[in-house]
Amino acid sequence: MKCEKIEELLSPYLEDELGPEEKRLVQEHLESCKECRLLFSSLEEARRSLFDFPELEVSEHLAERLYSIPAQKKRFRLSFDFLLRPSLQPVLAAATIFLTLISFYAFNPNRKAIDKSIDRQFHLGLNEVEKLYAKAESFTSNLGEYKDNFLVSLKNIKIFGGTEE
Amino acid sequence: MQIDNIVKECLDGSEGAWCMLVNAYSKRIFNMAYQFAGSFEEAEDLTQDIFLKLHSALSKYDFKKDFRAWLLTLSKNYLIDQYRKTKWEKKTRDEFDEHLLASDTEENPEIGLMKEENKRIVWSALNSLPSEIRITVILRDIQGKSYEEVAEIMSLPLGTVKSRINRGRLQLAKILKEKKEIENEV
Repeated sequence: MKCEKIEELLSPYLEDELGPEEKRLVQEHLESCKECRLLFSSLEEARRSLFDFPELEVSEHLAERLYSIPAQKKRFRLSFDFLLRPSLQPVLAAATIFLTLISFYAFNPNRKAIDKSIDRQFHLGLNEVEKLYAKAESFTSNLGEYKDNFLVSLKNIKIFGGTEE
Repeated sequence: MQIDNIVKECLDGSEGAWCMLVNAYSKRIFNMAYQFAGSFEEAEDLTQDIFLKLHSALSKYDFKKDFRAWLLTLSKNYLIDQYRKTKWEKKTRDEFDEHLLASDTEENPEIGLMKEENKRIVWSALNSLPSEIRITVILRDIQGKSYEEVAEIMSLPLGTVKSRINRGRLQLAKILKEKKEIENEV
């Protein structure tokens, strides 16, 4: 049998898990092949080394960290409980919308086009405000005349058909 | 107290029951993490992460199952996930004598030295095993579990587990043989 085939059988051979025929084949091969004999000996040593690894004790520091897990989680939950209050829900919803819009703007590949469009809308809005302001100014200057006319018309009103002079 | 009762009390928020759970399993999980990762500090952090995960997952525990096997499966999954994310094989393992050598007592100093050297080689060779094979070898050959227990923890058929363990052992044996041959030549 070839060495590669024997290699596969060495571990079950070590644990006495082979049938009599395979066991005999391995034994015969090991007697005649030095390389496989050395490999088998290394396999035994490796397994013994693994088995002999000592079990380490958990340090006090780690034990304390593990004991405190429920308390840590409770503190964490308490510190975030305020976020679950119903009164904060509209604020959180508004913040979510705001952040979505911001991220949409920040990560949009056509960010320049958005910038341009915002700029245009802003300046259009500014023009509208200027127009309104101009209208308001002409209105206040006309207000004096309107006031005089209004007073004169008030004076000329004849209540119950007017009085005999 | 039975483990099921301890788990139930933990679910009711008892910190005493949680401490009992920690005392019962922390050593096993810490050693498994250390043998797998090879770094003491890393193993402490991993153990804490596994217990944090356990605390969150307790409510999903099926009381019909074996708790120990369930916890070891959870730990194994976490270790392999972390390994995939961080690729520990790029890091070196702790020096073998730093934490592991203290308890070995051998009457014959020559044999003692040889065993020590073998352990040192096998310890660093563990890093060369793929994560899935490494954890099966750890469970079987270091922690001494039966093939059936390993198959349950790994959620794998018995045949697959045996073949992984064979491959892992063979790889370690080849590394050990090679290193010893080089030393003999020197």
